[in-house]
Amino acid sequence: MKRSLSLVIGCLVIALALTPCAWAKSKTIKIGINAPITGDIPKVGEGSKYAAQMWLEDVEAAGGLEVGGQKYKVELVIEDNEAKAESAVKANTKMITQDEVLAIVGPQSSKQAVPAGGVANDWATPMITPWSTNPDSTKDRPYVFRGCFLDPFQGPVVANFITEEFGAAKAAVLYDVASDYPKGLAEFFKIAWEKIHGPGSVVAFESFTTKDADFSSQLTKIIQSGAEVIFTPQYYNEVALIVQQAHELGWQKPIVGSDSWGSAETVNLCGPDCYGLFFSSHYAAAGATGSTKAFIDRYEKKYGYVPDDVAALTWDSLGIVQKAIESMGKMTGNIEKDRTAVRNALAKVKDFEGITGKMTFTEDGDPIKCAVIVKINDKGEFEFYKSVCP
Amino acid sequence: MTNQQPEIQSNGPSKGGKGYFKAFRSYFSCVPMLGWLAGIIAAVLFERFLGDQISELLGLPKIPVLFGCMIMLKDFSLIPSALAFLVGVYFIPILLVGRALAPVFNGLAGMIYKISPMFSVVLHLALLYLALHLWADLSAYRLMTLKFTLVAVMLTLSLNVINGYMGEFSCSHPGFMALGAYAASVFTLVLFTNDRFFGEALLSPSMGVYFFPVAIILGGFAAALGALVIAIPSFRTRGDYLAIISLAFMFIVKSLIENLEVVGGPRGLGSQPNYASLPMVFGWTVLCIWVINNFVRSTLGKALNAVRDDESAADAMTVNTRRTKMVGFLFGAFWAGAAGGLFAHILRYVNPASFGLQRLAEILAMVYFGGLNSVHGSIVGAVSISLLGEALRPLELFKWIIIPLLLILVMIFRPTGLIAFKEFNVKQLVRPRN
Amino acid sequence: MTVFFQSLVNALQWGSFYALIALGYSMVYGVLMLFNFAHGDVFMVGAYISFIVATALTALAAAGTIAIPGWVVLLLTIVCAMMLNAIVGIIIERVGYRPLREAPRASAAITGLMIGIILETGVLAIMGAQRAKFPSLIQSVTYDVGGVFITNKKIMIVLVSIVLMLALDQFVKKTKWGMAMRAMAFDYTVVPLMGVPANVIAALTFAIGSGLAASAGCLFGVAYPVLDPYMGIVFGWKAFVAAILGGRGSILGATLAGFLLGFIEIFVALIFPSTMRDFIAYSIILLILTFRPHGFFGEPHSARLRL
Repeated sequence: MKRSLSLVIGCLVIALALTPCAWAKSKTIKIGINAPITGDIPKVGEGSKYAAQMWLEDVEAAGGLEVGGQKYKVELVIEDNEAKAESAVKANTKMITQDEVLAIVGPQSSKQAVPAGGVANDWATPMITPWSTNPDSTKDRPYVFRGCFLDPFQGPVVANFITEEFGAAKAAVLYDVASDYPKGLAEFFKIAWEKIHGPGSVVAFESFTTKDADFSSQLTKIIQSGAEVIFTPQYYNEVALIVQQAHELGWQKPIVGSDSWGSAETVNLCGPDCYGLFFSSHYAAAGATGSTKAFIDRYEKKYGYVPDDVAALTWDSLGIVQKAIESMGKMTGNIEKDRTAVRNALAKVKDFEGITGKMTFTEDGDPIKCAVIVKINDKGEFEFYKSVCP
Repeated sequence: MTNQQPEIQSNGPSKGGKGYFKAFRSYFSCVPMLGWLAGIIAAVLFERFLGDQISELLGLPKIPVLFGCMIMLKDFSLIPSALAFLVGVYFIPILLVGRALAPVFNGLAGMIYKISPMFSVVLHLALLYLALHLWADLSAYRLMTLKFTLVAVMLTLSLNVINGYMGEFSCSHPGFMALGAYAASVFTLVLFTNDRFFGEALLSPSMGVYFFPVAIILGGFAAALGALVIAIPSFRTRGDYLAIISLAFMFIVKSLIENLEVVGGPRGLGSQPNYASLPMVFGWTVLCIWVINNFVRSTLGKALNAVRDDESAADAMTVNTRRTKMVGFLFGAFWAGAAGGLFAHILRYVNPASFGLQRLAEILAMVYFGGLNSVHGSIVGAVSISLLGEALRPLELFKWIIIPLLLILVMIFRPTGLIAFKEFNVKQLVRPRN
Repeated sequence: MTVFFQSLVNALQWGSFYALIALGYSMVYGVLMLFNFAHGDVFMVGAYISFIVATALTALAAAGTIAIPGWVVLLLTIVCAMMLNAIVGIIIERVGYRPLREAPRASAAITGLMIGIILETGVLAIMGAQRAKFPSLIQSVTYDVGGVFITNKKIMIVLVSIVLMLALDQFVKKTKWGMAMRAMAFDYTVVPLMGVPANVIAALTFAIGSGLAASAGCLFGVAYPVLDPYMGIVFGWKAFVAAILGGRGSILGATLAGFLLGFIEIFVALIFPSTMRDFIAYSIILLILTFRPHGFFGEPHSARLRL
């Protein structure tokens, strides 16, 4: 018995001796990133992670964030939410209470942002969700902001654009019923379209379920309905399949998409089938100028592909957080007070010049932003076509 | 206890690692459950009052929240400190208090046990709750993890009734959970909350907490009703058809909820009132364990086992096999629904995507990891997989290679799970150890 | 009417994937009485293997070293992928299932589930987060037959799968090994005593099942050229439904049930509001099983679960 006891004590002594000498706590600002690194949409998580790491590089190159004349080091806490709602809630709770982050950027999709936003708001921690378009994410939550425009805005934008551009009167919609973003946008589009062209002008309102690969029966129905245009607010992987299958079934009329098309993957996966199509987005990569171009070039050089809108929006959200922190005067060292100060500073940010456009938050924490109509040109690049502002 | 000690001295050091372990075990075998609980409470109190200082002394950024796993995996240079914290704050106090005060606690446990075994069980539960409460109180993240773990225990146990005790292969647990979650959420949202789904509260919101158990029971009944839909066609014959009928049922439930705009469709249902406090969740879990444990030890539970082992023989022994299977299945579904109701109120948001194939894989893994046909197996399985899932978070992608590998190894070396086919005797557990 | 025929063509294509995958399930289930829950992910691995082979071959062809037409590349890809994936299947059987041959069946099912997760995560780690674009090996040509649009790809897919199914049928009926497999399916415990090498038969079953899954993966890549590491999950579970719906170990049953599932999914979406597709489609399956609890070709067996 004595020997085992001495063994334990020995281990303890060694452990103590090996402890690093970081006795004093250094002054750092922690920013949490809640991203779906594994799970259904790993590409989205990757984009957020890369954008955040690029932002960190910039901040480190500048020697940290300057608050009230003092430089603070910045640390990123990147948590994987596995694209699950409960995991996003756990990740947020962990980052807030355990890592003591000052602000959180993420989660990206609405199904995680809605419950995770509740946690952030309960703990009075500012959170920006760059990509969630569900109104519930920020509704009645003073501490939750968002980085993108909302579906009720995007729906009419697309409806008006199609009416003007193609002169169509009958539209069809094809969307994923099990995913809240496409479903919400499909419904807002329907409302907007029927406002312009009268009830019944959306002649086919068809849906499928996440992970489906065959849309032939829905497309057959759409073709039979006599629609003049298809609106499909789907993610890039489904876009490629939908467009190709539509063409194989003899559809020659236009197909229009939404901001979820705005990924380099769309063209990669879809190829020439997608050339000449239009979609609404937050920003257009081809023909971008100024800071947007600088961001795209740098990202492409570093990671080997053109950043999609998630990366751009995450970048902007981090930029806005940075601006808010730098403008809040001073850090008290009391994390709760500092969080509230960041929140108040965020609400006051005016005309932030982001790479996805100017941003000012409304009272609900939603930005007022312009939408861009993008055309996929014959080289497969995203070309700026026109801009629509609220 | 006294006659065990010489054995240690002769046996321990000579036999190397295994001998040490054996010696260690027998040295502490005299500590009753009461002693262990007291030790845990002491350790938790120790952590509460001195944890900050100790972790600062060891150079840790904060008190390690889940036994230091996260810290260790994130920053390898902190492994020694985290281990030291673990040993210093948990192991030593628990072992010390448990062993040193073993005679006292043995006497105490004996005294209480003599008064009434039931009283002793209740007292142990109260102490366990105290320990968990003190432990979880330190960090909201711990609290959250603990609550989800308790719900996982309920889910695992309820599936074990069907897959373990009854020997069928049911895949519909996420569906039952969804039914329970939505039924309970609708109940509390309609009656006690002003929200945008159902408008004004019908009853005063302050009464809600008292009616919360009703909501959970309602969730359970909703799930049991759903189970009836499966049970009627699938228990007419024997075979693997329950597996696909239940799988089809899961797809049906998910699709149905996605189409019900009233409850939010794929957007989900949010802003449930915050009723699922730790005592509430703990209470339900204990109730669930107690009821299920009694159920499987009852005549009906034994009949279930008989049906599993040989249906025709059971039939010949006057067991009404179809009725037995139905009751077992509905009973399991009821508790899955109750767990779903709790889950919805802990997360305070439900959406149909949470109740898909991923959840099914998770629950199945917990049941088979812990062990079939055993209540403590289920508890062990649920707790270890839940905690592992949280603790390995920093590994990101590789978490989903390590956990499955671990499970495969368990399956290969212990095909029925860690602790299978064992009776859970609570009274034995709270007995003094001398 | 054109709509009906158009959907018929679509359903044939969609059903052939279910049928090919369900066959693998059904073989393992018939011979070893196991649920091979990793099968959906084996299909995914097969698709990725075909992707790698096809990309390599097209790169070779593009570099000018060998000039080969697209359909030869496709044929080569299918054959290579089937062989490589058969090896994957044998490895899975050796590592995950053989040690559990005497264990409860459900334990083996869980192992399968876990192997599936490892395969998904492994592919995600190796191939990265972006989805893979399957190279277009043959030029898509659309024929307009009286308003029904048929592509050469669709014809090819249906033909190749039917050929494979017939080949399997002949193999099981005519060859010595096929006979041994059928014998194993008939009685799992006695047949090995008659000198049939159980381990070889088990490995062979897995190899054939995985090979069929690889062919399905390759054809899937041709028809739906977007691959992601999680695409096998839903496919796997649905093919599992088809396999059992067909009846235990029945090749004809699994094939028909696979096609039936494809038809149900396509036609339900066509006739009813497509938002209700899963709800109605699986209610139909529930009804079928209520009235034919042993599937189409299964016999009422009182096989005891080895639990």
